[in-house]
Parts: sequence; C-alpha cells; structure tokens
Amino acid sequence: MAIEGIGAERVDYIRVPVTDMEAANRFYGELLGLRRNPNSPSDDWVEYEVGNVTLAVMTPHTHEYGFTPLPPSTIALRVGDVAEAKAKLEAAGLEVGEMWDSGACRGAGVHDPAGNRILLHRRYGPYPDGTLP
Amino acid sequence: MQVERVDFVSFLTQDLARAKRFYTEVLGLEIETEGESDLELRAGQVTLDVFDPSSIGEPFAPSPAGMALRVADVDAARAELEAKGVEFDGDTIETSVCKQAWFRDPDGNALMLHRRYDA
Repeated sequence: MAIEGIGAERVDYIRVPVTDMEAANRFYGELLGLRRNPNSPSDDWVEYEVGNVTLAVMTPHTHEYGFTPLPPSTIALRVGDVAEAKAKLEAAGLEVGEMWDSGACRGAGVHDPAGNRILLHRRYGPYPDGTLP
Repeated sequence: MQVERVDFVSFLTQDLARAKRFYTEVLGLEIETEGESDLELRAGQVTLDVFDPSSIGEPFAPSPAGMALRVADVDAARAELEAKGVEFDGDTIETSVCKQAWFRDPDGNALMLHRRYDA
C-alpha cells in the first residue's frame, strides 16, 4: 500500500548506528541470522534484509556525524518464539531482558554490541480487523 | 532462531497529538490503531509506532534511525512538505546510487525522502 500525501511507496531502510562493524556483523549476521545483502555499498554500511525492511548497519563516525544509539525498541523483530530466541541468544552469551506478555504479544529486549536495544517480538492476538498475525 | 520480518519501527514523542497531526496530515500516513499513549501508522510495508514514553515513566530520546521513505520524485515531495512548513536539514543530496533529502518530525526523529536511481 502506497503512502498517500507525499506519494511514498515504502520504507527503503532504517539506519542502525553502531561503533564497531565487526561486532555488529557478528550480532546481526551470525547471532540473529539476518541475510547480508551482497550488494552492500561498503564495509562501513552493511545492509541486512529482514523480510520486509532493510536494516542499514553503519558507523556514524565514518559518515560525518556522531554516534547515538537508537531509543529502546526502535526495531521490533518478529521471531517464531520469543522464549526460544531469548534462550538461543543467552546460550551465545548475550544478556536478554525478561520476557513480557502484553496480552496480545510477547517481547524481550536485547542490546546489540553498540547499545541499540532490539526487541524480539511475537504477536499472537488478533489485529483489530480480526485477522491473525 | 528465524527472524521473519520487522513487526514495527518505533519513534518516541513528547506530544502525541502533535505527532498525529504530522504523520497523518503532513505525511499522509494512515492510522492502523490508536491508543492513549501510542499511535500505529501504516508506512508502506511496515508499521510505524509513535509512542509517548512518559506513559511508562521512560525518558524521551529522538531517533537517529533516519527512516528512508521511498518516493517517486524527491524534489516534488520535498516541495510539497516545505509548502506545509517542514524544514529540511540542508540541501538534497545526490549520491552515486540515490537521491535523499533529510528532515525531522516535530520531536526530532530523523526521516528521509529517498529514491534509488535503479528502483
């Protein structure tokens, strides 16, 4: 569905600012298992494809501005089972927050190596139109 | 662990009513759901959640995510937003692969009008 008003078609990407590309690539590529776009433009701007959105993992300090982390839960990644994903990341040595349950979805936050708090997320309740996730 | 998709992207706000006006009346996004402390909007293929963190006692911080909105014509979209009072961060940039124009929502969350030449 296109965005009306300015005629936007879609979200092309979201920037994920980091401070260490090697650590970030290990987190997003190896631990989260995201698919790295082989056409990423440079070593300091690596794009990961997450189904519907591209995450552009990049270092601000090589793009002429200062690093600040994303506010908590800026990016909610849909996983099949939050508890399972939490256990896997914890087994890899990461600290994952307590899993919460809102009554419609479950979530747990985890920091990437730069301090961006990513949300592992799974909705199980129906959407307002009655459809299920 | 299989990550399937991005369920939503979240921006924080200090003034939900102001944010609602910006995203619906200026950018023209459609509301998916609306609560007392947040607003879910359809941004193409993903949900944008605009949330007031004070509702759960958390601090506000603007996002540097720079959500890139794909438009057919960056110059035309920029002119339309400027006519509605939106101020842009500098001139439109032309890289080797895309054109981009940076702006912010009223809370300072970074956004971009974006078009790859090959898209």
